[in-house]
Amino acid sequence: MKLEGEQEGMLKGGNGPIMAKAMETVVKYGEAFGAKRLVPIKSGHLAGTFGIGPYGAYIHILRRIASEGLRVRVPTTVNPRPGYDLNFINRHIVFTKQEALEGLLSAIGVTPNYSCVCYEKANVPSFGDRLAWAESSAVQFANSVLGARTNRNSILMDVCCSLTGFTPEFGYLLDEHRRGQMLVRLNIRKMDAPALGYLLGKKVVDKVPVIEHYPFSRIELKNMGGSMAASGGVALFHVEGLTPEAPDMKTVFDGPPKVTITVTQEDLDSLRLRKPQIADMVVFGCPQMTCTEALAVAEKFVGKKVKVPTWFCMVPDELTEFKKHDQFSKTLDAGITIFEYCPLAAFSLRLGKKHILTPSGKLLYYLKGAEYGTEDDCLKACGVMQ
Amino acid sequence: MTVLKGNPVIKGRASGPALVTKMPMNFTASFTKPKNLIPAWRSLVQDSNHDLFNKNIRKTVFIYPATIGSTYTGMVLLELMYRGTAPAAIIVQNADPLLAAGSILADVWFDKGIPIVEYPNEDIFDKIKTGAQVEVNGDTGEITVL
Repeated sequence: MKLEGEQEGMLKGGNGPIMAKAMETVVKYGEAFGAKRLVPIKSGHLAGTFGIGPYGAYIHILRRIASEGLRVRVPTTVNPRPGYDLNFINRHIVFTKQEALEGLLSAIGVTPNYSCVCYEKANVPSFGDRLAWAESSAVQFANSVLGARTNRNSILMDVCCSLTGFTPEFGYLLDEHRRGQMLVRLNIRKMDAPALGYLLGKKVVDKVPVIEHYPFSRIELKNMGGSMAASGGVALFHVEGLTPEAPDMKTVFDGPPKVTITVTQEDLDSLRLRKPQIADMVVFGCPQMTCTEALAVAEKFVGKKVKVPTWFCMVPDELTEFKKHDQFSKTLDAGITIFEYCPLAAFSLRLGKKHILTPSGKLLYYLKGAEYGTEDDCLKACGVMQ
Repeated sequence: MTVLKGNPVIKGRASGPALVTKMPMNFTASFTKPKNLIPAWRSLVQDSNHDLFNKNIRKTVFIYPATIGSTYTGMVLLELMYRGTAPAAIIVQNADPLLAAGSILADVWFDKGIPIVEYPNEDIFDKIKTGAQVEVNGDTGEITVL
C-alpha cells in the first residue's frame, strides 16, 4: 500500500507512539484486503458502548489512547447505552465497566448521542461521503439509503479510523462492490418491511440485493435494513427507483441479474407469532425509534391502557423532541415505559418474561426468547387493538 | 502430507489440531455467554444454533466458511487472543473485515495475533477433517496437513 506524507508520518511516530499504533492497525487492515491506499473519512460511528465487565482488551486500549490525550480527528458518534442502571444484575455484574467506558469515550472526544440511529441528526452523511462506521444497522442505512460509503468495521477498528481520520479503500468504498448481485421480486399484498429485511438477510447472507420498486417510507427502510444486517451480513441494499444508486434496474446491475428470488406474503407471514396474546411484554424500537415513528405508534394508544408491559426504545435526542408533543403524556398515561437504551442489552437478562413480542427483525434475531409480530400484532398483544 | 495453497490474510505461523465446520460462525453469539465469561475463561462455542455447540476452539486450527453477525465480532476475537483462549490459527473460505480486525488488533496492540489464511475452494472440507494436525503459514498462505 502507498502512504502519503501525513499518513507515513503518523505511522512512523510523528504524532506519538499510540497514534502510530492506531495507524499501523489501519494500514494492516488495508493490506489484509489488498487496498491500494488510505482515504480521508468524513465521520466515524463507534459500536463499542457496552462496558462489559469481563472484557478487558477494549478498555485497556482506550485507556492507552486517552492517556496520551489523543482525540478523534473527525466527528464521531456512538451506539446506545446498554441500560446498565435498569437492574441490579446489569449494574453490578454485567456492565461494571460502563462508567469507566463512558468517561474514556468522552475523553477521546466522541459526540455523546448514544444511539445507533446516528444518521438522522447527530451524524448525517451526504451522498458519496467516505466513512468508517461500525454498527451494522447504521452502516446499512448510510450505504443504502444515503449513498455514503462504508465497510462493516469492527469495534476498535472504528476507533483507529476516527483517530487517524483515514480508512483503507476496499470493499464498499469501491464502485465495483456496490453493484446489485441479486434481484428480489415481491409477491405480497401487505408490506411488512422488518419481516422482509429479516428474510432477505437469511437468503442473501452478504450479497447486495436489489428489491423491485416499492414506495418504502424512511422508517421502513431503517427497520428493514437493520433486520437484514442482523440475520445476514448485508451492508448494502438497493430499491429500484427509490434508493440513490438504483434509479432503474439497468443502472444498478451489470447486465441481467444472475440470481432472482421472490418473496411471497406467506414468507412474510411465516415469521409472525401465531398467537400474539401469549406475549408477556412488547418492545418497540430496535433500531431505536425516532420522534416521527413514536408519534405514529403513540396514536394507537391514546385513551387506552396496555395489558402487558410495553416499552418504547427511543433515540435520546428524539425523545427530547417527542416530549414536546401532547402524545408523550398520553403515551405514559396508556402505561407505556419510554427509555433511551439498547433493548437488546437491557432485556438480555430478564426475570420471568418469556415471550417478548417485537416488530423488530433485529431484536428478533439477537434477543433470546423474542417473537416477531407486525405492528398490528403488537398492538393486539398490548390490548389496544381488536 | 498434503499442502494446500490459500491466500494469506494475516501473517504468522502456527499449528494445531483441525476443528472443521461447514456452518458460518457468529463469534459474538458464541463467546459472550456466561460459560465463557466466568469463571475459567473457556472458549466453548455457546451459539445453540451451531453444530459446534459446546466445542472448545482454543488452540485449534479453526476452519469454517464465513463470519456472520455483529460488529462486536472483532472485539470478541481480540478478547480471546488477549486472554490466550483463541484458536492457534484460522482458515476461512471468505475472509471478512470483522474477522481480520480481531487478529490485527491483537497483533498491533498486544503482539498476540493469530495467522489467518483464506481458502475459498470447497475441497478444504475433503482434505482436512477435524482432528488432523495442520500447519498454517499466514505469510505465504500455505496450509500443510501432516
